[in-house]
Amino acid sequence: MSTHSNPEPSSKTPAPLEVHDLTVAYTKRPVLYGIDLTAPAGSIVGVVGPNGAGKSTLIKAIMGLLPSASGWIKVFGMPFQQAVTRVGYVPQRESVDWDFPVNAMDVVLMGRYGRLGPFKHPTKADKEIAMSCLDKVKMLPFAKRQISNLSGGQQQRVFLARALAQESDLYLMDEPFVGVDAATEAAIIEILRELQQQGKTLIVVHHDLTTAPDYFDRILLLNMRVVAYGKTQEVFTFENLQNAYGGRLSILSEVALSRAQKKAEGDAPDNIRL
Amino acid sequence: MRAFWKQDFQAEANFSRMNRQERTSVLVPHLRLLASLFLLLMISSVAHAAKIGEIAETSWAEQALDFFALKHPAIRAAALGTLLIGFCCGTLGSFLVVRKLALLGDTLSHAVLPGVALGFLWNASKDPWAIFIGATGAGIMGVALVGWIKQTTRLKEDSAMGMVLAGFYGLGVCLTSMIQNMVMGNKSGLDKFFFGQAAALSSGDLWLLGITSSISIVLILIFYKEFLAMSFDIGFAKAVGMPVRALHYLLMALLTFAVVVSLQAVGVVLVSALLITPAAAAYLLTDRMHWMLVLAAVFGMASGILGAFTSYLSNNLPTGPLIVLGSTSIFALALVFGPRYGLLTKILRRKRQRKRIALENTLKSVFHLSENSGFTRKEFDISELAKERNQDLASTEKEIRALVAARLARNVDSEGDTEWSGKARFQLKKSGWHRACEIVRNHRLWELYLTNAAQYQSDHVHDDAEEIEHLIGEDIVQRIEERLRNPIQDPHGKLIPRRDQITA
Amino acid sequence: MQREKLIPEFDWHTVLVQPWSEYASNSLWIVLMGFLVSGTCGLVGCFVILRRMALVGDAISHSLLPGITLAFLLTHSRDTLPMMIGAIAAGALTVALIEAIRFSSRIKADAAIGIVFSSLFAVGVILISVFADKVDLDAECVLYGELGFIPLQEVAYFGDQAIGPKPVVRMAVIAVIAIVLLIAFYKEMLVTSFDAGLAASLGISPARYHYGLTLFLSIVIVSSFESVGVVLVIAMIIFPGATALLLTDRLSTALWISTALSAFYAIFGFHLATWLNASIAGGMTVIAGVLFGFVWMASPNQGLIVQYRRRQSNNNENLEPFNQEL
Repeated sequence: MSTHSNPEPSSKTPAPLEVHDLTVAYTKRPVLYGIDLTAPAGSIVGVVGPNGAGKSTLIKAIMGLLPSASGWIKVFGMPFQQAVTRVGYVPQRESVDWDFPVNAMDVVLMGRYGRLGPFKHPTKADKEIAMSCLDKVKMLPFAKRQISNLSGGQQQRVFLARALAQESDLYLMDEPFVGVDAATEAAIIEILRELQQQGKTLIVVHHDLTTAPDYFDRILLLNMRVVAYGKTQEVFTFENLQNAYGGRLSILSEVALSRAQKKAEGDAPDNIRL
Repeated sequence: MRAFWKQDFQAEANFSRMNRQERTSVLVPHLRLLASLFLLLMISSVAHAAKIGEIAETSWAEQALDFFALKHPAIRAAALGTLLIGFCCGTLGSFLVVRKLALLGDTLSHAVLPGVALGFLWNASKDPWAIFIGATGAGIMGVALVGWIKQTTRLKEDSAMGMVLAGFYGLGVCLTSMIQNMVMGNKSGLDKFFFGQAAALSSGDLWLLGITSSISIVLILIFYKEFLAMSFDIGFAKAVGMPVRALHYLLMALLTFAVVVSLQAVGVVLVSALLITPAAAAYLLTDRMHWMLVLAAVFGMASGILGAFTSYLSNNLPTGPLIVLGSTSIFALALVFGPRYGLLTKILRRKRQRKRIALENTLKSVFHLSENSGFTRKEFDISELAKERNQDLASTEKEIRALVAARLARNVDSEGDTEWSGKARFQLKKSGWHRACEIVRNHRLWELYLTNAAQYQSDHVHDDAEEIEHLIGEDIVQRIEERLRNPIQDPHGKLIPRRDQITA
Repeated sequence: MQREKLIPEFDWHTVLVQPWSEYASNSLWIVLMGFLVSGTCGLVGCFVILRRMALVGDAISHSLLPGITLAFLLTHSRDTLPMMIGAIAAGALTVALIEAIRFSSRIKADAAIGIVFSSLFAVGVILISVFADKVDLDAECVLYGELGFIPLQEVAYFGDQAIGPKPVVRMAVIAVIAIVLLIAFYKEMLVTSFDAGLAASLGISPARYHYGLTLFLSIVIVSSFESVGVVLVIAMIIFPGATALLLTDRLSTALWISTALSAFYAIFGFHLATWLNASIAGGMTVIAGVLFGFVWMASPNQGLIVQYRRRQSNNNENLEPFNQEL
């Protein structure tokens, strides 16, 4: 039946991420069904699956950006809103307007905003942290450059630096390796491993099946529902990959689609607003 | 939006492969429809300019009769003018709405002001041609500027439009002040351009309107598939070699003409409403582009006539805002009562669906009752059902009544509609049984599918199946049965009923 | 009928000197008001541009017409409070209707905006026409304001001390509030405008700031309409920010530049209007447009001239324009 690893036995410290029976449905696009996921501290989890599998949706749902039809999510044993400072988010590059009048330093500083309330401005300490994060991703020389003048790989590194500046314990990354050059990719992986050694937990949506086994020690094979989850060697089997990518789930997707359409006819179309 | 275009687009792809003869035969019906609509408008004698409101009448009914009898030349002018304007703006505006460029119409309607002022200067005696040329020039320049700003700066389209809109309008305001200072005390010439005065349309104006409408309609027909392709997917259009830029500017030019000729009747700012609202109403009612064009034209004309008529009734209210409100009313009607997407339709559909689901849930419970008795019993007490469904007697009674009303069950003790008590018994009819079996089968089959083929946890599947069982169609059920090789038991070991297996 | 020339003589003395030598206090109030209006609008406008809300702002400013007219009809006064309430109600109604249409049908944002504001505007025009005799609102004044009348307005007093014309004082208060809000929420506005996803993940609610900005935008528009009218207010909102963004790469710098530009618009718009005997708002808009055109061409990093030169001097393929869209 389902190849679902047993979650780690919960000790006194709650797991960085626990998801149970999560279902997310837009009325126009069906996306996630009954997702179960527990990520232990210090793990790098790769989320892979075909297009439209709901990978980005999962990340957004964890952050509470999308309403869930059922199930719950706990971050360090708390609802996301309460654990906000412990979570760092690296969005997809295309989600941002690169013409925005900010330079690399400004972007990284934004990572510190979660700790400051209204009326407070980033302090000298914040600026120093920002600079050291830029340095870690080797972007310090570009600190004053407007972001549209950066290459794809450089932009991605700035995003990563921003996530580092958040000094979080759980990182959610949405396709950080898309469109970056090989050198940047290697640099990013090195930083991720460093974070892992510091005991941080990383959930990374990954677009490339072939490199997934190299980068991640746990894999979540996702295609609208959990096909398989667990240690990489256990999960990466022919059968699982077939189930996730093989298109044998046409019935599932069709039903999901028609259900969404029926909902759309019966209810109002959904406008997801942040 | 995909559904909206897919059929059209297949059709258009085939269209281009047809030869001329085939094409004509496809186009002709539409051409005939639009042409006849158009001819209807053109049959009219030359009108003189006069103010509608000056014609005094007594009762509303008389006035209405007078209006629609089209006796007075002024009324004829206004009617014809507003019809043509509605037609023109409706059809052209459709392309704006589907391309999400609705506010470009707004930009145009503001941008023409300096052109109007300059044209007025050229020939102060309200010569429509000078104003027409001036306004058109300003409009096209405005649109070109929007595109240029977008291409060469970091500013986005909405800011570019806002700048052109406000900048040109400001220039127009300055020019207008200057003109008013020049010709002291005579503001009337420009006044109507702000608020609109359909009755003051001269024959020259009407000719302009007629010519613009004819040109628009002809060009739309000729370039229909190009416009369609461009509106849907501009990248694709470019890729198949359509001269996208030229077509875009052609459309913009036509829009500018439409805006300019409508100015007098509707006023500068309100013209944009006529471009968007009738087309939006049409958009809510149909999924195919050519019908949208036709509907938009009809709604545009209807708004025009409504506005002219109301203006006539009210003595001196400007036509512009009344036409706009007319089109908004039509839009509101489409929004609420539209047969496919209307709010009312959606509400009714939802209600129907909920009713059906309630019936089916009741049937399911009856099935469970029967199953628990090993399928031996056929009659059940209401109180048994209430227990199974975990609710009070009153609600259960209501549900049984609903079943009886839907002819899915019958009251055993007496056929008539008597007082029911907790002991009253009922029995499902044959149709009821079949329906019950279907529902239970769907539910259990789906659970089996989820756990087997889709690797769901067996404790997650029940809620999903509760929803799916009502929505799944027969073809899907067949495919699942094939896929799972005609199973007999669900994940919990219960029987999966088949239609032919149940004997009522 | 006097028929003067369209473009009056440019008399150095009349246009540039006289306003300050003979009517100094009037001129001062006018220019100050122009600066306050344009400056405040410009500050808010920078965010309106970056958040692509320019046309929502346009819609709100048009929809104010019926709100203001109704407020006047009901209270028979041109007092601030009823006007503000009427206008804010109209603004809220606009946004609510737009959302309602988008939520309940497949009509997209642009069409929804267009339908709502033009209908409301039409209602306003009808109200003005129907109650023309009762409404002491000069339609043209509402449409494009008259800064020139500001000095003639009632004077505001702080205790016994006369400060200045009421509208100026009102606008100054709003300007100060704008600056305070900007300082307080700069980071939040920056993050929610740049990357809403990140903002949410930081615990900053993008929706809250979106509605907050819309509300404040409505207030600013309401306060400005008396000076520049409901149609030109959008010019004052967009032009300073748009011009500033062509001159710098950083938002903070852009905010400063737009304020400086506002001062420029106020002073030179005033003189232009004096010369041409036109409405001052119109004058300011023309100056704003001309200035934008100039910066568009000549900006040291982003201007057309620079782009042209780069293309010429580049041996590689042509630099693509910023945008491939039509």
